[in-house]
Amino acid sequence: MSDELFVVDNLTVTLPTSRGPVDVVKNVSFTVGRDETVGIVGESGSGKSMTALAVLGLLPRGARTSGSVRLDGAELLGRSDRDLRSVRGNAISMVFQDPLSSLNPYYTVGLQISEMYRTHRGGSRSAARKVAIEALERVHIPDAARRVDHYPHQFSGGMRQRVMIAMALCCSPSLLIADEPTTALDVTVQAQILELLGELQSTTGTGMMFITHDLAVISSIAQRVLVMQSGDPVEYGTAEQVFSAPRHEYTRMLLDAVPRIDDEVLS
Amino acid sequence: MMRYVLGRLGGVVLILLAVCLFTYLIFFKLSPDPAVMICGKTCTPERIDSIRDVLGLNQPLLTQFWDFLSGIFVGRDYGSVHCSAPCLGYSFQTNESVWSMITARLPVSITVAVGAAVLWLLVGVIGGLVSAVKQGTWWDRSAMGLALGGVSVPNYVLALLLQYVLVVKLQLLPFPSAVPFADNPLLWFESYLMPWVVLAVGYACLYARLTRSNVIDTLAENYYRTARAKGLNGALIMRRHALRPALTPITTIFGMDFAGLLGGALITETVFGLNGIGKMAADSIAKNDQPVIMAVTLLAAFFVVIGNVVVDLLYTALDPRVRVVSS
Repeated sequence: MSDELFVVDNLTVTLPTSRGPVDVVKNVSFTVGRDETVGIVGESGSGKSMTALAVLGLLPRGARTSGSVRLDGAELLGRSDRDLRSVRGNAISMVFQDPLSSLNPYYTVGLQISEMYRTHRGGSRSAARKVAIEALERVHIPDAARRVDHYPHQFSGGMRQRVMIAMALCCSPSLLIADEPTTALDVTVQAQILELLGELQSTTGTGMMFITHDLAVISSIAQRVLVMQSGDPVEYGTAEQVFSAPRHEYTRMLLDAVPRIDDEVLS
Repeated sequence: MMRYVLGRLGGVVLILLAVCLFTYLIFFKLSPDPAVMICGKTCTPERIDSIRDVLGLNQPLLTQFWDFLSGIFVGRDYGSVHCSAPCLGYSFQTNESVWSMITARLPVSITVAVGAAVLWLLVGVIGGLVSAVKQGTWWDRSAMGLALGGVSVPNYVLALLLQYVLVVKLQLLPFPSAVPFADNPLLWFESYLMPWVVLAVGYACLYARLTRSNVIDTLAENYYRTARAKGLNGALIMRRHALRPALTPITTIFGMDFAGLLGGALITETVFGLNGIGKMAADSIAKNDQPVIMAVTLLAAFFVVIGNVVVDLLYTALDPRVRVVSS
């Protein structure tokens, strides 16, 4: 079994715009090993999320991709939508930024977890419901057997993100893409979610691609970091390298922008 | 939930009472003297007085209103004539009981409304759906252009046009008449086809545009993206994560539109000469037949108010976010 679970090689994403095609992701390469978390950092519009959507083939209509994206050696780019369905949620699953709008308000969280499980694993409704309850328990949602029948709006922000994570992990994917999973949450809840992701990763061995604009978050969980600016990969290395000795001007600028407790207060 | 339902029903009673009072004031107090109208051209002051007496027009206003109201529930007497409950009075024009006029005509209006509703829901919702999925294509643009045109055509124009082409020129359809279904199903269908189409066109166009924009909004929702990222199959995504959220708001609008039509499709029924509530309303207004005007107004109000409650209750079943707040 190779160490490289997931390889992105020279990925370029081109979107059609009214002013012609624009490259929103340019020649991005990185790898994610088993058990490893790779952080992708950049401002909004830097191409982080487009990279993630390209992996799952969820780009907007008319988008073109080139390069290579491989999971366990199997190429994902250029596969048909139908073909990718068996990968989505199954081998690679995704947690999004805003858990309230990312969950369907018309269905219970239990149904939303079990519909995914049944799609990939089959089985009866009652078996899938059990899986959903177990998944909720795994993300430490209290009283999971009762909460499984609740609707998303009946959960708090942090609990909703736990539901999203429970759903993402219910089919034991080998790669989890977390797209700004803590951005919409307040700081204490953020810390809890990060802790949960770390804990789950150590028990499941899932590789993680963690997208954020928050360097503080990345420094606490990622082993390797890719810094992106306007679609370009500007720096790639271990977290220690990037944070202690940034080679690129842009990375230095991002690091300087992080407020520190010992900063002088402007009067 | 039970408390919520009871509260809503209590509200219904109050609203209907208020509608009753207002229509009574408008049609009996602000209109020409009913006694003079009934009496006709050759009339003596004594006869007018005796009519006033029989109709109770000499009584104080509140007593008159009470008589009218209690007549609906327990019946009332006009001189020696007993009008059994539900009594809405007698037409000034034909002396027919207003209640029996309504019961005779309501099936026609219901037939018109139900047929049109089925047609406009099918065409409107499916058309809008296809447009949304094929957004920006040739089909979408022509369907939406057509919908804009359809909304803009007044339905009496469309009615006369269809009648001229299909009945007079091509002789494909008979002239519409209120044939009971049991008598001759084929003729019944042919008779109602044009009224259904005419009534449905405007609504179908509106619903198509509405469905299209709702579906397009839903396809841009984050939970739709989540559903795709979960690897669900296309049909399941469409059904659960696009159609259910997109179509739920349409039930509200449909409930209101349909309830409104049960009170009679005034123009369509009049143009096609169908003896429904709508035509009865038009005729009674033209002849200032106050008891009939009053009754059709109350009937329309009744349907709209009840429709409103039904839609609200349905919505609590369809949208879990509403359900939890209400319980």
